[in-house]
Amino acid sequence: MKILIIEDEKQLVKSMAQFLRQESYVCEVAYTASDANEKILLFDYDCILLDISLPDGNGLKILEKLRANNKADGVIMITAKGSFDDRIAGLNLGADDYLPKPFYLPELSARISAVIRRKRFDGNNKISFHEIEVDLLGKTVSVNGKEIELTRKEYDLLVFVIANKNRVVSKNAIAEHLSGDDAELMDKFDFIYSHIKNLKKKLTEAGCEDYIKTVYGLGYKFTA
Amino acid sequence: MRLLQVSLRSLLLYSLILVLISIPISIFSIRQIINEELDESLALHTNQFVKHIKSYEYLEDLEMDLKIWDQLSYDIILIPSNVTSAEQKYETLSMYDSIEHESHPFRTLSTSVVIKDKAYLLTIRMSLVDNDELVIALGIVQVILILLLAVGLLLLNRSLTRKLWKPFYNTLNQLKAYQLDKCESIQPEKTNIVEFDDLNRTVSHLTDRNRKVYLEQKEFIENASHELQTPLSIFQSKLDNLMQIPGLTEADAATILDLEETAQRMARLNKNLLLLSKIENDQFNEVEEIDLSALANKLLSNLQPMADIDNISVQTVINPLSIIANSTLLEVLFTNLFHNAIRHTNANGNVRVEITDRVLIVANTGNPLKMSPEKIFERFSKEGRSENSSGLGLAIVKKICDTSLYHLSYNFQSGVHTFSVTF
Repeated sequence: MKILIIEDEKQLVKSMAQFLRQESYVCEVAYTASDANEKILLFDYDCILLDISLPDGNGLKILEKLRANNKADGVIMITAKGSFDDRIAGLNLGADDYLPKPFYLPELSARISAVIRRKRFDGNNKISFHEIEVDLLGKTVSVNGKEIELTRKEYDLLVFVIANKNRVVSKNAIAEHLSGDDAELMDKFDFIYSHIKNLKKKLTEAGCEDYIKTVYGLGYKFTA
Repeated sequence: MRLLQVSLRSLLLYSLILVLISIPISIFSIRQIINEELDESLALHTNQFVKHIKSYEYLEDLEMDLKIWDQLSYDIILIPSNVTSAEQKYETLSMYDSIEHESHPFRTLSTSVVIKDKAYLLTIRMSLVDNDELVIALGIVQVILILLLAVGLLLLNRSLTRKLWKPFYNTLNQLKAYQLDKCESIQPEKTNIVEFDDLNRTVSHLTDRNRKVYLEQKEFIENASHELQTPLSIFQSKLDNLMQIPGLTEADAATILDLEETAQRMARLNKNLLLLSKIENDQFNEVEEIDLSALANKLLSNLQPMADIDNISVQTVINPLSIIANSTLLEVLFTNLFHNAIRHTNANGNVRVEITDRVLIVANTGNPLKMSPEKIFERFSKEGRSENSSGLGLAIVKKICDTSLYHLSYNFQSGVHTFSVTF
């Protein structure tokens, strides 16, 4: 799957590409708006990561051009100016998601896979990992074809770690993902332990293998 | 005391002193003038009298006549004397008036005259105005003068205050109402008074400059926060990649985690600073009707896991209440208050949330404050223990209440911290 990163901070682009390549995404990079304008017309991408403030133009213009040419590429806006107006303008112009800086790469990865899934599989939106199957539309999870009861947080947690499978996800990234970004963040992260513990228990009780591994004090890794 | 009252006071005091001093001076000078006039006419009378008498010297029994004449006349006394001297003597005497039964002042002139080789003492007297009466008359006139002066000055003062000082009070009222973060600038009206125009110009200049500095400062904070977002992203993304390296030792992992926590602290601090400046910039101006009870219940259930860790019980008395407000601001306000309460409650303590009659009360058990209660809403004033706290949560609460005109108060009583917001 091809991803275009439109971002002028080279260091940030390097990290994003490094992280996303692990998930066998093919990453292309445009550091300037003119470069980006050229690329979006020549190629199709599964997802475009678009920084709004570029040295030679506004990212919103690129989005406009993309939609004017009937390109259906998924777009996630990334911006340092977390202003409400930019967000509304971007979503009105047909951006699929919006991620304010600074962000966790696992969060970015989860958003990208959500956007790609939405674009690709209309109607039948399911992800599966071995015996686990997640119905993203019905928000249900089944193990070996048998549905299990999960709370909203446990469901979000499972989808998040599956989207980041085979990678270490820190508990901070999980906490931020679960608590959303519009509130003063939690400083007692311990609460995610209980969510993880409950999720693991429910999965193993349904006969699922324990895929959620604890990685030292760092966080968790969803891996077979 | 008003400026004009002070000047009026001095004016009145000065006039009073002047009038009081003028009473003895006028009495003295009037008396002096009267005396001089009387002395002149006494001398004239004496002269004429002596001249007349001299022309009757041919009469045989002039001596007898004079005796009788002396008895009859009221103002002229002519008695024989054995002293002859050329000098005339002016005197002011008090004499008893047998008709009015009181003493009267008289001016007298005594002269020695020689009539038919016989020495006489001629005393001519004239009635003087009574001293007391003079004092009373003058006093009355002066008191009336003082009263007229005082009333006149007071009236003048009042109309001056109203007319002349009007531009001054206009400027003053504008200054009183001036808020650096809200008002554009002060626009005083033009006057014909040099001092007032000068004052107004200075005030306008000062407020304009302050506002400019304030806006620059605000813009700086906002820009700085924005600019920090990208380096923070780079830092965070490098850490995310670092975590993926296979075979990290436990020590490496601990270091990465510490770094990540620090990065998160910076990010949170930055986010809160940005939020504060956005609130100041009035960027949350879209309002809608918000069900506070639903909002409180939703946010409390989100925070419940945090409370559960320390076995904190959360009691709620939430009555239905809807207000018109910005949803983001209210959510931040509620979350920060709830979050603050849970954070500062000791293990096994309890948090109480009440919504009644347009008042939100968030109370929690906890240790007394180490800092002074006035500082609780200041930026970066922290109560030590939680190093993850940005120190901005309650400052944001305060800012939201200030801009939305909610009344916010805090008190600590018998081990319970209580915050209340009146919408």
